[in-house]
Amino acid sequence: MTRALPAEIRRLLAVLRPQRAWLWGGAVLALLAALAAIGLMAVSGWFIAAMALAGASGAAINYFSPAAAIRGLAIARSGGRYGERLVTHEATLRGLTDLRAWLFRRLIPLAPARLAALRSGELLARLRSDVDALEHFYLAVLVPAAVALGGTALVLLVATLVLPIAAPVLLIAAALAGVLLPAWTRRRAAADAAHAVREAAELRGSLLDALRGHAELLAWGAVDAHAARIAGLDVRLAARRRRIERVQAMGSGASMLLAQLAVLAVLVPGLAAVHAGAVAPPLLTMLALLTLALFDVLAPLPEALAQWQATLTAARRVFELADARPAVADPATSANIAQPPAIRFERVCLRYAVDAPWALNELDLELAPGARLAIVGASGAGKSSLLLALQKFYPLQRGEIRFGGQPLAMLRGDDLRRQIAVIAQHTVLFDRSLLDNLLLAAPAAGAAQIERAVSLAQLDAFVSALPQGYDTPLGDAGARVSGGEARRITIARALLQDAPVLVLDEPTEGLDANTARELYAALDAAARGRTLLLVTHRLGGLARLVDEVVVMCAGRIAERLPVRAYLARESSIAVTMPGGA
Amino acid sequence: MAQAWLLADILSAALLRRASLPALWPQWLGLLVLAALRAVLIAQGRRLAFDASQQLGSSLRARLLRQAQALGVPGLRAQAGGDWVTRMVDGVEQVLPYFARYLPGAASAALLPPILAVFVFPADWVSGLVLLLTAPLIPLFMVLVGNAAERASQKRYAQLRRLGAAFIDALGGLTTLRQLGAAERVADQLQAEGEDYRRLTLQVLRVAFLSALVLEFFAMVGIAVVAVLIGFRLLWHELAFRDGIFVLLLAPEFYLPMRALGGLRHARMDALAAAGDLLEFAPAPIASCAGVPGERPAGRGAPTVRIENLHYSLPGRGVLLRGLNATIGPGITALVGETGAGKSTLLDLLLGFAAPESGQIRIDGVELARLDPAQWRARIAWVPQRPHVFAGSVRDNLLLAAPDAAPAALARALTASGLDVVLARLPRGLDTTLGEQGLGLSGGELQRLALARALLREQATLWLLDEPTAHLDADSARAIDTMIRAAAATRSVLLVAHRLEAARSADQVLVLRAGCIVEHGAPRALAHSRGAFAALLAAEAP
Repeated sequence: MTRALPAEIRRLLAVLRPQRAWLWGGAVLALLAALAAIGLMAVSGWFIAAMALAGASGAAINYFSPAAAIRGLAIARSGGRYGERLVTHEATLRGLTDLRAWLFRRLIPLAPARLAALRSGELLARLRSDVDALEHFYLAVLVPAAVALGGTALVLLVATLVLPIAAPVLLIAAALAGVLLPAWTRRRAAADAAHAVREAAELRGSLLDALRGHAELLAWGAVDAHAARIAGLDVRLAARRRRIERVQAMGSGASMLLAQLAVLAVLVPGLAAVHAGAVAPPLLTMLALLTLALFDVLAPLPEALAQWQATLTAARRVFELADARPAVADPATSANIAQPPAIRFERVCLRYAVDAPWALNELDLELAPGARLAIVGASGAGKSSLLLALQKFYPLQRGEIRFGGQPLAMLRGDDLRRQIAVIAQHTVLFDRSLLDNLLLAAPAAGAAQIERAVSLAQLDAFVSALPQGYDTPLGDAGARVSGGEARRITIARALLQDAPVLVLDEPTEGLDANTARELYAALDAAARGRTLLLVTHRLGGLARLVDEVVVMCAGRIAERLPVRAYLARESSIAVTMPGGA
Repeated sequence: MAQAWLLADILSAALLRRASLPALWPQWLGLLVLAALRAVLIAQGRRLAFDASQQLGSSLRARLLRQAQALGVPGLRAQAGGDWVTRMVDGVEQVLPYFARYLPGAASAALLPPILAVFVFPADWVSGLVLLLTAPLIPLFMVLVGNAAERASQKRYAQLRRLGAAFIDALGGLTTLRQLGAAERVADQLQAEGEDYRRLTLQVLRVAFLSALVLEFFAMVGIAVVAVLIGFRLLWHELAFRDGIFVLLLAPEFYLPMRALGGLRHARMDALAAAGDLLEFAPAPIASCAGVPGERPAGRGAPTVRIENLHYSLPGRGVLLRGLNATIGPGITALVGETGAGKSTLLDLLLGFAAPESGQIRIDGVELARLDPAQWRARIAWVPQRPHVFAGSVRDNLLLAAPDAAPAALARALTASGLDVVLARLPRGLDTTLGEQGLGLSGGELQRLALARALLREQATLWLLDEPTAHLDADSARAIDTMIRAAAATRSVLLVAHRLEAARSADQVLVLRAGCIVEHGAPRALAHSRGAFAALLAAEAP
């Protein structure tokens, strides 16, 4: 049966496979509860009609079993609903956890080379709603579909037994109300819906701009113009959504009308059959009530169909992302790294796309253990690319990097990166406690180690000022951390990693001279006994931290010289600048 | 509506024993007409609820904008941390289903059952009594069983939202996690947290769903009792068949709105969470410079700004400026000082984003408070510390600052800022679409964009530049310094400089510390004076 499903849905079901017992259990319970409800209406209708006829004719009737059946079905229906809710929630939550863990594990080897999407909050938000759509697939699509199919089958079966001519009528009505009508409304609204999605995103963006860029708008006298733009978008979007809503309302109205027509279409031949004596009158009453019940079961299908489309789109995007091949291959086990590790770049060439310019072009660089080196150069000279290549995040087109004597190809990325503590240009803290953030790289670190790292990073005062100390959540709900503090937290985090190589990418950007100097002092203490690689624009305090400077230009090393010689030359250039002091 | 139709249906069914098909045509017709009418009315109701929620959305958005504007630039900046702004904006969308679906649902749950009961009673008072007795029991039991559980499940739901946020948070920081070798561990953690959440939640739900079970049970038993009672009374000739079927058909409708309401729980919980966020945001407005509408600054040339004894503080951030005195005249004035000394605050006050508590800012002798802020800002070119990139193309972003800029002026601004070199690399040049936060441009490239945007305001005679060369390499920064130097011949430039090299080429240096100017003068003189500026220079010296 699953072979008829689109590939994306089959993939999704495969991911959810370990929970299939719960998934099917929930669907079956939902179906049973729905069938009990249908049965309740049918038996009641039959019962009343039969009792009335019996009353009229004075005939004897066994009213105990139908009355018991009615009560039994009522209880089955309530209990079934309760069980259904519990089991479908269990299944949903299990599936959700599995799906997230699966996706996360799939994406790990892809970062950062294959996951440009995650660098943008906007795309990340889209991924989030895609995953949401996949998580809703079960409750919003699978369960209603199972209920509708099972319910329709039952009604059709009963109809065939009671009044054969009613079965095709009901089948046509079910197809119309459950599939064709929703499909028609979707087609009618498709163009508007696509526009509405785009316009909603635009409206959201403009609103975000109005809040985040308020100062700029104010400075340019553009506040009113921007507000007018938002109002215009708002009106346009509302009109579009109204059109969509109208089509949908028309669809559900038509479905309601269809239900009445179906009752008539069953009653007309039914009455004829009753008059002819082919069908007992109570059974016809039952059939009429069954027809109404059928439409109850079909009612969630339009929504399910819409969700089905959303799931397909979302699944396509998610699986496309998850199926990307890792940019860099890892061996099964790592070769032995000579400690302390020396680093060698040998004629390394790296570019990010076939038609992109070389980010690293025949780059040669050698770092003895314990070397302290600053890398300077214009933006785009390849400084960050050098660091990314060293961490084995991107494949090299030519050349080789050796770490501790081993080519990177012989090392597992995780083993390599355990040797390299990185303080990146963009500070990333997670929405967890300060302690969790600190322990990310060293989950087993003891209190003494933490204290030491925190004091080396000059975070003591910050930590003691926090209301809940190390347990203070960072991020929105917790402490608002300033740029300098965040940077120092990442330094403490990197120190706890206790790696022989320390890599710093612009650690002082956005800090004033004194704060930067203090930070350099902290880093100086932290880097003792380690190899240090520092990418920077700031020259103040550099002499204390590094011994040598490498100037990068167009993806290669232009020159390498002692830090004092470099600084002396730079300050002489500054003096000869026009207007220079 | 429904009852009338049902009545017609019953009539026809009741007559099935006697009348032939064609004789019933008025009923058939009536049934169809009523069904159509019902469909139209329901569609109309949906439309009204939808329109109302759309209008509410518009007014919520407008209100959010107004509040944000009332909050003022400094207040908004303090709020803008994290994804607060996103939450606000998306919150508006999440509140709407509550009004579009939950409230109409709640209204029908309150109104429809009594109306239906009114119709049931004349037909069969026994069934009416059953319905009336079970109906109030439902909300009662829901309150008894459901209230505490409902609150608990709401809390669980909030936690689920947090769990989702943590998942996305970890995905966003995946590269960092790999650098730290923590990715696999976080994956395990996410799974374990999901499992824990599931276990705890299902414990809560087992109780929470009892309320739904009670509801369902009463509804079903109500229907069943009505059905059985009707059956027996039909048998004993106490009830007409027509009335019996009529009541039986109405019984599910009687409970339906109450049950439908249960299905809208999630819409309600989402909306409540979002509304909580929106309500939480009831900011105390921060006074900005009101000014006098229409009042223009006097001179046309480079203004002289005299700042006298300026005091300013912000709730939550304490005193930011205390008795600041300074004069900013034609040429370059460099403002230096440590992070948090009050540099950006001073710029806010100069732009009229905030009003000083005491003290004055005079523009060519006229108080800033007596000028029209819009007219005053029209003379300013400003590069903020963290420039905002607006959704749209590079061109859109530039022209926001000067909608009427001529192509030639655009070209000049591009060249002077060095943005032309950046654009030359981009296949679509000026029409390149910038993603959120300037996706696709590096820090240095964004800085050039902000600079070009400011330079496009060619009429501006006062330049307020907050670290214009941040994120630029030394050579690019020097080129920008040179450009500013040339422009300063006909303008007053206030340059906030972290990189002291830029300050060394200024005409005047102001050293700001803890909210007041501790030193001012020519950079060369200050550099040799062993004062605050000399100390800063020493801190930056190789």
